[in-house]
Amino acid sequence: MTTEKKPKLKIVNCMYKKKEYRETDKMFDLISGNYSMMLVMSRFGIEPGFDEKTIGEVCRHNKVDCRTFLTVVNFLIRKKDTPAEDTPAEDINNCISLEHLIVYLHNAHNYFLKFRLPHLRRKLTEAIKDDCPEDVAFAITKFFDEYAGEVDKHMMYEEKTVFPYVRDLLKGKKNPKYNISIFHKRHDQIELKITELKFLLLKYYPGKGGNWFNSALFDIFSTERDLATHNQIENNLFTPAILELEKQI
Amino acid sequence: MNINLKIAIAESSAIIRSGLEAQLRKLTGFHFQIVEIDNSERLYEAIRLNKPEILIISPAMMRGEALHQLREDTGNLSMKCMALLYTLTDKNQLRYYDEQISIYDTPEELKQKLEQFCQQETEDDKEDEEQQLLSVREKEIVVCVVKGMTNREIADLLYLSTHTIITHRRNIARKLQIHSASGLTVYAIVNKLVELSDIGKL
Repeated sequence: MTTEKKPKLKIVNCMYKKKEYRETDKMFDLISGNYSMMLVMSRFGIEPGFDEKTIGEVCRHNKVDCRTFLTVVNFLIRKKDTPAEDTPAEDINNCISLEHLIVYLHNAHNYFLKFRLPHLRRKLTEAIKDDCPEDVAFAITKFFDEYAGEVDKHMMYEEKTVFPYVRDLLKGKKNPKYNISIFHKRHDQIELKITELKFLLLKYYPGKGGNWFNSALFDIFSTERDLATHNQIENNLFTPAILELEKQI
Repeated sequence: MNINLKIAIAESSAIIRSGLEAQLRKLTGFHFQIVEIDNSERLYEAIRLNKPEILIISPAMMRGEALHQLREDTGNLSMKCMALLYTLTDKNQLRYYDEQISIYDTPEELKQKLEQFCQQETEDDKEDEEQQLLSVREKEIVVCVVKGMTNREIADLLYLSTHTIITHRRNIARKLQIHSASGLTVYAIVNKLVELSDIGKL
């Protein structure tokens, strides 16, 4: 592997199209222009309160690999504009540190499993509590719980099987019984079922609705989107980077 | 039988415009009504008045993002838009179009692309008609699925083959956009196909 190539140039190379954020841009500009990047920031372990510091400075201060941060950020921003396109970055290993990307993905899993989904469940329960016939409320809650169970299974597989495999790979140890294409094949679109919940509530919800209902529904929209982009990062950045690494070992 | 199509060609070059028109007229199996639009100022008015089914437009005349607005403003939402390409064009622009034709396309290719549109249209119509409304049989199957029965059990109960059950289930999923058993449960309860007490497994 040739690590002495200038990484900064590489970052620019593997991106294209209009606004790409760079190390020298201010963190504040990035976040205020793209508030959903707040989530990315906190998953990398970057704290708010960054004053007038540049992205590079903030990353160094928080001991975060700036290339990886920028690759993820720019990937997501580009994805928002052109959702249909699936162009994995060229030269992926120059844009990404797998150690840091795993930290990011792990924190994202924690966020979904320990915060987002439980929070959404509470909101949904509140929304349908008085408003919805009991049997329907029961079926909706059951649907949600099954879904949360599937997300849990999906993410725990990555935590328990994929991440340890990659950590070993980074140490130069290759597991002869496993490779990343196994993961890629079984990696399903985890957001599809929450899309179904959205359809169910929009089309068939028998209650009156109201503020809690809307709020729960908005959470469902954003969770759906968030899970979809999470999957895209795994498919377009994480998996290709591991494929490259597998070739090198 | 000839297919009737109303096509608008929006292109500033008269040579390219009439060249394309001549090529179109040579295609067999179609009967075209062609509207020529030579500049962007006339575009809106011409679309509004003529309501073409297909608009073949040079990306130089209008940015791809504006196509949707054009459809809305002219009250012609179902109009298909094809990009007419003879220079290098930004890939990001092209995704706004339903199809692209290049001035180097052969008449066969041109014909294929147009036929594809006509096919899509009849399929869309068909889908719209049957969308959402479940047949009595499909409702029966929903109830069975919700009760936790396997395809085999449903097939035995209704004297059908499992293959037929699978086809029904696929149609149900398509019509309702619900793919999971727990999703169907919500649907079935809301629509009073079952009562909670019917569902043994819960």
